[in-house]
Amino acid sequence: MAKLMALAGKDLRVLFADKGNVFWVFGFPTLFALLFGAIYAGAEKGPSGLEVAVVDEDQSELSGLYVTHLQSEAALKVLALDREPALTRVRKGQVAAAVVLRPGFGEGFSTFFDANDPKLQIASDPGRKMEAAYLEGLLAKTQFEVLTQRFRDRQWMRGQMDTWRSQIKSTGGLLAADTNVYLRLFDSLDSFLQDVNDRTYAGGLGNGMLNVARLDVQREYRGPRTPFQITFPQAILWAILSCAATFAISIVRERTTGTYQRLCVGPISQAHILAGKGLACLATCVVVIALLILLGRLIFRVPIESPLLFAAGALCTCLCFVGLMMLVSTLGKTEQSVGGAAWASLMVMAMLGGAMVPLAFMPGSMRSISHISPVKWGILAMEGGIWRHFSPAEMLLPCGLLLVLAVAFFALGVLMLRRAQL
Amino acid sequence: MATIVVEQLCKRFGEVVAVDGVSFAIGRGEIFGLLGPNGAGKTTTINMLCGLLRPDGGTVTLDGRTDPTHPAVRAVLGVAPQSIALYDELTAQGNLEFFGRIAGLAGRRLKERVAACLDIAGLAQRRKDRLSTFSGGMKRRLNLAGALLHEPAILLFDEPTAGVDPQSRNLIFDTILRLKAEGRTILYTTHYMEEAQRLCDRVAILDHGKILDIDTIENLIGRHGGVSHVEAELSQVPDDLPALAARLAAEGLGLEGNTLRFQTREPARSLAALNQCELHYRALKVDTANLEDVFLNLTGRRLRD
Ligand SMILES: Nc1ncnc2c1ncn2[C@@H]1O[C@H](COP(=O)(O)OP(=O)(O)OP(=O)(O)O)[C@@H](O)[C@H]1O
Ligand SMILES: [Mg+2]
Repeated sequence: MAKLMALAGKDLRVLFADKGNVFWVFGFPTLFALLFGAIYAGAEKGPSGLEVAVVDEDQSELSGLYVTHLQSEAALKVLALDREPALTRVRKGQVAAAVVLRPGFGEGFSTFFDANDPKLQIASDPGRKMEAAYLEGLLAKTQFEVLTQRFRDRQWMRGQMDTWRSQIKSTGGLLAADTNVYLRLFDSLDSFLQDVNDRTYAGGLGNGMLNVARLDVQREYRGPRTPFQITFPQAILWAILSCAATFAISIVRERTTGTYQRLCVGPISQAHILAGKGLACLATCVVVIALLILLGRLIFRVPIESPLLFAAGALCTCLCFVGLMMLVSTLGKTEQSVGGAAWASLMVMAMLGGAMVPLAFMPGSMRSISHISPVKWGILAMEGGIWRHFSPAEMLLPCGLLLVLAVAFFALGVLMLRRAQL
Repeated sequence: MATIVVEQLCKRFGEVVAVDGVSFAIGRGEIFGLLGPNGAGKTTTINMLCGLLRPDGGTVTLDGRTDPTHPAVRAVLGVAPQSIALYDELTAQGNLEFFGRIAGLAGRRLKERVAACLDIAGLAQRRKDRLSTFSGGMKRRLNLAGALLHEPAILLFDEPTAGVDPQSRNLIFDTILRLKAEGRTILYTTHYMEEAQRLCDRVAILDHGKILDIDTIENLIGRHGGVSHVEAELSQVPDDLPALAARLAAEGLGLEGNTLRFQTREPARSLAALNQCELHYRALKVDTANLEDVFLNLTGRRLRD
């Protein structure tokens, strides 16, 4: 044990004598966390200041209301223009899309439900599909908001009922029986609208029914509460990878400088030597993770739902990658080859496992390939403690897998070291 | 009794036969030299001796055990490798402390041994300096000192004086002679015949992985050194050259002006005889045979071309 500590202590001192190593082990993962945290933090709110041209060809009360609503949307920068200049701007890429409110938009519900002659048109820049899609969502939301506002206006609703009644009567297409059913529905709705108390009506519809639906979603939402909950496991994983790769290289360095051989002729086994390295690597990982967590808690206020499970997940992840790097370090003969092999294997695993692009953003086929990457299990194990609300039993799968891999990697590493000797 | 016995050791790397049937035995308290040019197989032999390489054939017996990786053997074995095997990032003291701990030292004994070895390396003054700030010779000295921490009974030194200035070299020689006086068994490899001649009780001449001969230096020179060349500038020219040649046990005796030249296999005897001849000489030059000649005669090449 004393020898193990001596080995680990020496490794730490040697490692931190090199400022470059300090950066890769501590600086890089922190930067990663900051950068990606910032990106996702932006994504969560949606793009801000999306420039959109609005052409109001209807000039009705409803279309005016609609434009005002769009303008109040924080994510949009709305320019009211005529049709031609609006379309030119889209072509030139100066705005992401143009929204055209056709004449007839304000005539009521038909605006929203008539598929043959849509009263709302979008012209978008083909290169900005993401933004256009996002915009469509916002338009729908605005429609819904405008409608809700209209619904709350009892008198407007009654006018609407009148229009529909006359439309139904004049349309010849319906069976007489059906026409009567609709007319009866409109009649009763009209009398409801006529008799109901203003406040009850508005309150019941606006604040009651609709908001209940929203609350429900909120309660069932068990995903990450802040984007940093996603980037934190990733940053920690990068810290572990970076740390492990650094140590993998240091093993080969010892072999090329001969200190490894000197250790080997001492009264100490190869397993001991490798374990000493692993211990130093593990200790460094733990310190980096502690630092990242401190950073996360203090600056980004990343909530960690179950610190204990998170710690377990992080530890298993460390062990797995420390083991892996111990193995990789025995595969090459020079620092360059091992350094290359280490980073290449880590990159592939990181890419597959969702340490670069979160798994949630990957296509399904990629997600199923990701099972072979320990990175995926590492992230899962850590997320289990941060926001996935894993039970200890649910933690068993990722953690167990990581530990099994760790032991297998380490044993293989020792075997390779023994063989490389002779 | 700590000894080294090597029998029919073989090692090949692909096509290259690095060590080819090497056998020797080193007794306790002996300094044994492995003398050979670059690529002769010295380092390969040492690596097999200390268990870093597995021999393709033959056996190694250290301190009575045939497995050099056995912990009991490791505990009595000290190796100073040919390359500097120390941590650049650590101080002189840090390096020794680390290897001391690995060798199983701790506490006061560790402190004492580290201090003693720093003295041996002549680096006590600079013990707090990082290795990376040291000169090549200083590193070399520390590299050797690192093998002595646990006072091993068997020592393997692989070219411990490479790149060391004459003063440091003398320091290393003194250290090695002191270790011998303490009864340690020492294997010393070098391609400097002067070193072998000065330090070693017995020497094996190694070339292309084969041992050409093993013996004391005197015997090797006697056997393979060939003749010594004597050149004397006389004040008076002798008359009877054949009689003189017989008296001096000289071969190829010749006179050129006042200068007498001859070769002899027994330089000491010839010189004594010369003194008794009452031939006054103004200058005398004796080129005695050395290990260089031994190597030349054994291989047809010079040790260092
Ligand atoms: N790991 C190796 N792989 C391939 N060939 C090797 C290896 N080690 C040594 N050799 C070859 O074995 C031969 C003996 O090498 P060795 O290092 O034992 O020589 P040496 O006597 O120590 O030389 P030097 O005085 O230069 O140190 C050389 O021809 C060398 O090229
Ligand atoms: Mg050598």
